[in-house]
Amino acid sequence: MSAGDETTVADADSEELLALREAVRDFLAARSDEAAVREVMIGERGYDEKVWSQMAEQLGLQSLVLPEAHGGDDAGFVALSVVLEEMGRALLPAPFFSSVVLAATALVAAGDDEAAGRLLPGIAAGTTLATLAAPGPDGAWHTGEGALAVAASPADGGGLVLDGTAGIVLDGATADEILLVVAAPEGPTLVSVPGDASGLTRTALRTLDPTRRFASLTLAQTPATVIGQPGAAGPVLAQVLDVATAALAAEQVGGARACLETATAYAKDRVQFGRQIGSFQAVKHKLADMLARVQLADAAAREAAAVLDGADPEGDPGVASAVAHIVASEAYMSVAAENIQVHGGIGFTWEHPAHLYFRRAKSSQLLFGGPNAYHERLLARVGI
Amino acid sequence: MPIELDDFITEVRGFLDAHATRRTGGAGDVQWGVGEDRITYFSTEAPEVEAKAVAVAKAWQRTRYENGFGWLTGPTDFGGRGLTTVHELVYDSLEAEYDVPDTGVLAVVGLGMIGPTILAHGQEKIKQRYLPAMYGGDVIACQLFSEPAAGSDLASVETKAVREGDEWVLNGQKVWTSVAHHAQLGLALCRTDPDRPKHRGITAFLVDLSLPGVDIRPLRQMSGGADFNEVFLTDVHVPDDHRLGEVNDGWRVALTTLMNERATVGGETGGPAGRAVSLPFLRELLRANGRLDDPATRRELASLYAGQAAAEYMNRQALRKLRAGVQPGPEASVSKLLYAQNLTRAAHFAADVVGPKLIADTGEWGTFSWTELLLSTPALRILGGTEEIMKNILAERVLGLPKEPGIDTKSPFRELRRSARSSA
Ligand SMILES: Cc1cc2nc3c(=O)[nH]c(=O)nc-3n(C[C@H](O)[C@H](O)[C@H](O)COP(=O)(O)OP(=O)(O)OC[C@H]3O[C@@H](n4cnc5c(N)ncnc54)[C@H](O)[C@@H]3O)c2cc1C
Repeated sequence: MSAGDETTVADADSEELLALREAVRDFLAARSDEAAVREVMIGERGYDEKVWSQMAEQLGLQSLVLPEAHGGDDAGFVALSVVLEEMGRALLPAPFFSSVVLAATALVAAGDDEAAGRLLPGIAAGTTLATLAAPGPDGAWHTGEGALAVAASPADGGGLVLDGTAGIVLDGATADEILLVVAAPEGPTLVSVPGDASGLTRTALRTLDPTRRFASLTLAQTPATVIGQPGAAGPVLAQVLDVATAALAAEQVGGARACLETATAYAKDRVQFGRQIGSFQAVKHKLADMLARVQLADAAAREAAAVLDGADPEGDPGVASAVAHIVASEAYMSVAAENIQVHGGIGFTWEHPAHLYFRRAKSSQLLFGGPNAYHERLLARVGI
Repeated sequence: MPIELDDFITEVRGFLDAHATRRTGGAGDVQWGVGEDRITYFSTEAPEVEAKAVAVAKAWQRTRYENGFGWLTGPTDFGGRGLTTVHELVYDSLEAEYDVPDTGVLAVVGLGMIGPTILAHGQEKIKQRYLPAMYGGDVIACQLFSEPAAGSDLASVETKAVREGDEWVLNGQKVWTSVAHHAQLGLALCRTDPDRPKHRGITAFLVDLSLPGVDIRPLRQMSGGADFNEVFLTDVHVPDDHRLGEVNDGWRVALTTLMNERATVGGETGGPAGRAVSLPFLRELLRANGRLDDPATRRELASLYAGQAAAEYMNRQALRKLRAGVQPGPEASVSKLLYAQNLTRAAHFAADVVGPKLIADTGEWGTFSWTELLLSTPALRILGGTEEIMKNILAERVLGLPKEPGIDTKSPFRELRRSARSSA
């Protein structure tokens, strides 16, 4: 970590956060092991409601990073990263990223006390599931090109109504409250729509990664509540993306490290040609390359979280998180593929967990637009 | 007496026109958004659908065979046509202009690998019995080589074969056996003498899969379907005339299969996956996603295509040099290596272009369908000899570099260290 003069910034290796890491790891090992993940991933909701409420009640994970004023613990992004790393490692299927990372960050960034007071306490307690989408022209996350896919217009009796399609919304089928960035006459505007709003149709989609769900939402004259100022969603979205990509990077590091560890253990165990396969230089170097990638991604993700926490007064969270997003996306994809390779035939089976990480790696890499978007995003953040 | 190429072309055209429909607009034409958008390498169909596809594949192979196109390079004594690989190439390129069923389930393993092995090592009677049936589309054959503890180190197979009079009794477990659930015949490598060095105590047998004691259990792949299987052999009685090659000389037999495997896998071009990574299809993909004018995407496409095209030239040149019956050399490992790398790269390239529509199925044509190919690519780096093994072969057999130290090929098999997962 850089030598900032802020002393309140948490260190991921501090005793406190190591204890948090252990608590989350133990909890997930007990409540969401591979067998449980496999059961949930073929279920309809895509997450286990009991595990979700235990996460809130026993560990307070949903409230960890949220502001104290609204029922949170203000523990900071480094602490959040620790939690997300463990969730990524266990492939936890849960609406944590959508509700706690995306929606809550947007609510805080929008600076709308009324909306924050209405939604954040529920998000912090795990009793409200929220999500956020900024659907662009193709229904996926708006990456700066083209128009927003959902349009707002004034309703007859005052307020706003929405029309359009949000094609790929994270946890969109199960969320109680959906935050959307829409095109309003004043410009991009953040609004909220309850999951049971009139004119809203939600369709759960088949997904590449069964541990991460998406839905398509169509809105027809659906009433919505403006959050913050009309036309002011641009900077909110930028801030959300900084936090979300840094958070995603932590989750990706957790998954990548799990792949590295599994592959290493297998290379020590598996014997071919009378030797452990890890004794062959081809395998040994592959694992060393995997380690180097994971370490690099880990460094980038930690830096991004620390900068978001204000550890480095000169650090730019936009740059740090854009770097982390690129490095962690590429590391995870590569390490997940090489994990299969080290396992040989067994790594290609459905029963082996390797493919679940492979699916998650691709799904994460493309979540906010993929390589085309994330490379441009970094250049934009550094002003090129 | 080989038929002149011009006459052959006329004959092929006549056959194809009579039995198949020519694609409209030629082979390179892509109608984006029309028809099936599935980009399949391994099947993910329900068993009933798959069984139907297998029946269709068999029927098309039978039609080819009955009209003299089922086994162009095979000897006439066993139902072949006695022509050259050039004729085969010509036939393949003409057939590619028509809509015909995918015969991969018969062709890749059975006709591409097991057929040539039977031809090279089988007794006369066995060749008569199986080769016409295989190339005639009646018998699908599979490769019973890999075992839980013997993958890359294939010469460590443990499945036992013990002689009892005119028969051999087989016991053991095979794994990752592609198409076994559709097959009637398997080529099994078995340990016949554990007191000899591992390569010298193996014997190869053709196993009729309908024999008592053969238990085939499909395994689900990460891509969703179940194209490969575990095959348990329990007291399976195989007649001695089904032995290929001499007793304890099965490794030589296996090498024939493996050389053909590398050439077959590397030489694959057809199927939905082949079409999808073709230049016209990728061009339409870029157009549909608004990336046709994006310089970075264009450069990546060009680089991808150059790699693919050069690999194809290499395959063609290798094929041209071959005459029917001549075994492919270790260079075939280059093809196998490149094939896996190129398809993998193409799948990730398409994913980048498609973006988030690859991770959730919005129903848009030609987007989510890429997941099937993407989820199949890891297998290409493993099956038929892993990437690392291909590189070892190239380094050691082509470049003449020394073997990695510490690999024991001399001690009796019995004394070698094997994986903890070994059943012995
Ligand atoms: C889809 C699919 C279909 C298949 N179909 C068939 C089939 O029809 N019939 C059949 O018999 N088999 C089939 N196989 C099995 C395939 O041939 C084996 O999976 C492959 O040879 C690897 O063996 P393994 O799985 O035991 O991995 P291992 O041999 O255990 O390899 C594990 C890792 O160690 C590496 N490694 C091993 N030895 C060395 C070395 N000396 N130097 C460097 N690295 C090394 C490997 O490259 C790999 O990365 C299929 C496999 C797949 C995935």
